Amino acid sequence: MERRIRVIHYLNQFFAGVGGEEKAGLPMEIRAGALGPGRKLQAELGPEGEIVATLLCGDNAFAEQPEGCLARALELIGPYKPDLLVAGPAFGAGRYGLACGQLCQHVQDHLGIPALTAMHPENPGVELYRARVYIVATGPAATAMEPALRGMARLARKLVTGVPLGSPEVEGYLPRGIRRNEFAAEPAGVRAVHLLLRKLRGDPYESEVPLPSFERVTPAPPLRDLQQAAVALVTEAGVVPRGNPDRLEARRATKWLRYSLHGLRDLTGEQFECVHGGFDGHFVNQDPDRVVPLDVLRELEAEGRIGAVHEILYVTVGAGAPLANARRFGQEIAAELRKAGVQAAILTGT
Amino acid sequence: MELELGSFIVREVALGETTRLQDGRLSIAPDEIRALVADSPELRGMTVDVAQPGESTRIAHILDGIEPRCKVSGPGSIFPGLLGPPVTVGSGRTHQLDGVAVLTTATIPGASDGLGVKEALVDMAGPAAPYSPFSRLRNVVLQFDLREGLSIIEATAAVRLAGLKVAAYLAGVTREYRPDRLERFVLPPASSALPRVAYLCQVMTEGDIHTTYLYGLNVEGMLPTLLHPNEFMDGALVAGDYHIAAMRVATYQFQNNSVVHELCRLHGRALDFRGVILARNMWWAPGAKQRSAEFSAKLARQIGAEGVVITMQNGGHAVSDLMLACQSCERAGLKTAIVLFEMADADGSDWSLVDVAPEADAMVSTGNMDAVITLPPVDRVLGGTTLLDFNQYEGGGDAHLGGAFTTALRRIYCATTPGGDGRLRARAA
Repeated sequence: MERRIRVIHYLNQFFAGVGGEEKAGLPMEIRAGALGPGRKLQAELGPEGEIVATLLCGDNAFAEQPEGCLARALELIGPYKPDLLVAGPAFGAGRYGLACGQLCQHVQDHLGIPALTAMHPENPGVELYRARVYIVATGPAATAMEPALRGMARLARKLVTGVPLGSPEVEGYLPRGIRRNEFAAEPAGVRAVHLLLRKLRGDPYESEVPLPSFERVTPAPPLRDLQQAAVALVTEAGVVPRGNPDRLEARRATKWLRYSLHGLRDLTGEQFECVHGGFDGHFVNQDPDRVVPLDVLRELEAEGRIGAVHEILYVTVGAGAPLANARRFGQEIAAELRKAGVQAAILTGT
Repeated sequence: MELELGSFIVREVALGETTRLQDGRLSIAPDEIRALVADSPELRGMTVDVAQPGESTRIAHILDGIEPRCKVSGPGSIFPGLLGPPVTVGSGRTHQLDGVAVLTTATIPGASDGLGVKEALVDMAGPAAPYSPFSRLRNVVLQFDLREGLSIIEATAAVRLAGLKVAAYLAGVTREYRPDRLERFVLPPASSALPRVAYLCQVMTEGDIHTTYLYGLNVEGMLPTLLHPNEFMDGALVAGDYHIAAMRVATYQFQNNSVVHELCRLHGRALDFRGVILARNMWWAPGAKQRSAEFSAKLARQIGAEGVVITMQNGGHAVSDLMLACQSCERAGLKTAIVLFEMADADGSDWSLVDVAPEADAMVSTGNMDAVITLPPVDRVLGGTTLLDFNQYEGGGDAHLGGAFTTALRRIYCATTPGGDGRLRARAA
């Protein structure tokens, strides 16, 4: 780079040297040059970078009025024409970490410049922002300041040049939960043989795909009175009116749909078809009740065993659905069902 | 069981007056090839073309890729059960044309209830080339013209058999010659100090259209069974999967299975290769899935394994079957390493797998098949004219195959093959 990278550094009230918890209400402001640990960060950046200004804000001020603080931050930063925003390091401080993550994401989105922050892996800011913001891993407290600043400076230089980054381990940032394709030296089958041999020998080994940690969903309490309950049918089997009038996709569905069950005692292959691209649907086409059991529910309704069958069938296709979409569909459908007074739903999957 | 694999290194392939191999140059006479399938009533015609690495050529509507091989001695025929009676193969001598593949292409009519034949592409040059192993081979591309009114099953069966016949015929020109390279495949007793490893190969079968053939038998009813690695090399396994291209295992890849070859290579030195368990996946009911997983683990123990490498094919339920097998093996005291592809959405941000077991702590990735790539225009297209889409889920459908278009890796033939023969993988970023 011919000229120095222009860096804005974000600090909370404590690290900026304004004060402790009693100053956590400090409004967003900006001061020229580097402050506090920013001076050491400047030393790490060397001649390649210049911290042209330090943005500072009290942790409570940010937590209470994030939109206002973000807007103010953009106003204050703009005139400095920065190339990069660096926030923190926040170590284990939760409010500070959240503020750093949110500020970085906002600046990336609105100013189009790269941003990075740094915090301890267990900081709540990591979970919320790791997918969108580069976060350098630090120790839990300010005693880990020096390695944190070194890691931040190293990543800063790379981010500004726009060179594609290497793996998180190599570049020193927390894995963002993003998968990127590359070509290995050996075929997968060969790698699997050698991975197994390491495991059998008791040597350290590493999976190429990490095991997930899924959130635990607390089940709803049991129905108190099934005979009074409105029960809805929801399906990912892609059962739609013949002709697929709303063009539900066979895989990677972008939507969920509502179809009226009013006056229907069961679903027939004349009226409905299965567009799901992940299994052989011809048994469903013969009789869609096989995956959406309206016929049986109507019987239970007639017998008074359930209160009522909800009038609307909710449909999507689950095949190849990104988790984020599936989660959103579920939340949206559930919100409608609740609003309609439905107490239970039968969800069929394939 | 001892097999000698005699390889003939082919440096050039061209159409010519006769079909022969001379000084590494394979000449192919289209009329001779066409005569092989003349008695097949389903096929109205067949063209023969050659596509070499580096050419601006796109091959589309691919059904299978097959390596030319033939038996020159020993029991049985190549592709037993299909080109000859189902006599046990894997011994004697087999000839192989190294560097050549037969690719069968056709526009298969219609789709059947969501499981139709999917697009499968190979680019011989350009950004998409590295994603398919066939871009590095000299491909003999067969384009089939099908009779009207065939069902998908009839059409694919006719094309499948024709491709195998051509592959065997091409290898057959080497029958009297001495190979460039001769490799012996035999598994003598190994030291008891070596770790004992088995290979669990899960193959797909789903519905009427997509399946795998073992000695010509559709594996759909099959409980896990035992195979000798040499049987792979003589074409005991033939692909009948025409579903999403990236997650297919081509017949070529059964013939050249990388796990089989690596385990054979290391046998007696770094490990004791105890054998192969073949299992179908995509069982449709929980009890059936569990039965198959348990049988696989039981067979692995019965052949004396301590560790099992597991590969799979296709996706969705196939991932559940993989995880169940991993779990059954680990709970039976067998250590596992498993191979699978990922679906992490186009930007890589989604969770990769449709199912997972806590025991799956040693996974090998064959890449994210949702990643998107833009293919440039090409000078020549073989196999079709219009990009196949299915029910608007892929996008780009009806694009002209010779032009530029964007597609997920899903359409690139064997791009993320979970049988283990590709070098693509995904990593954290």
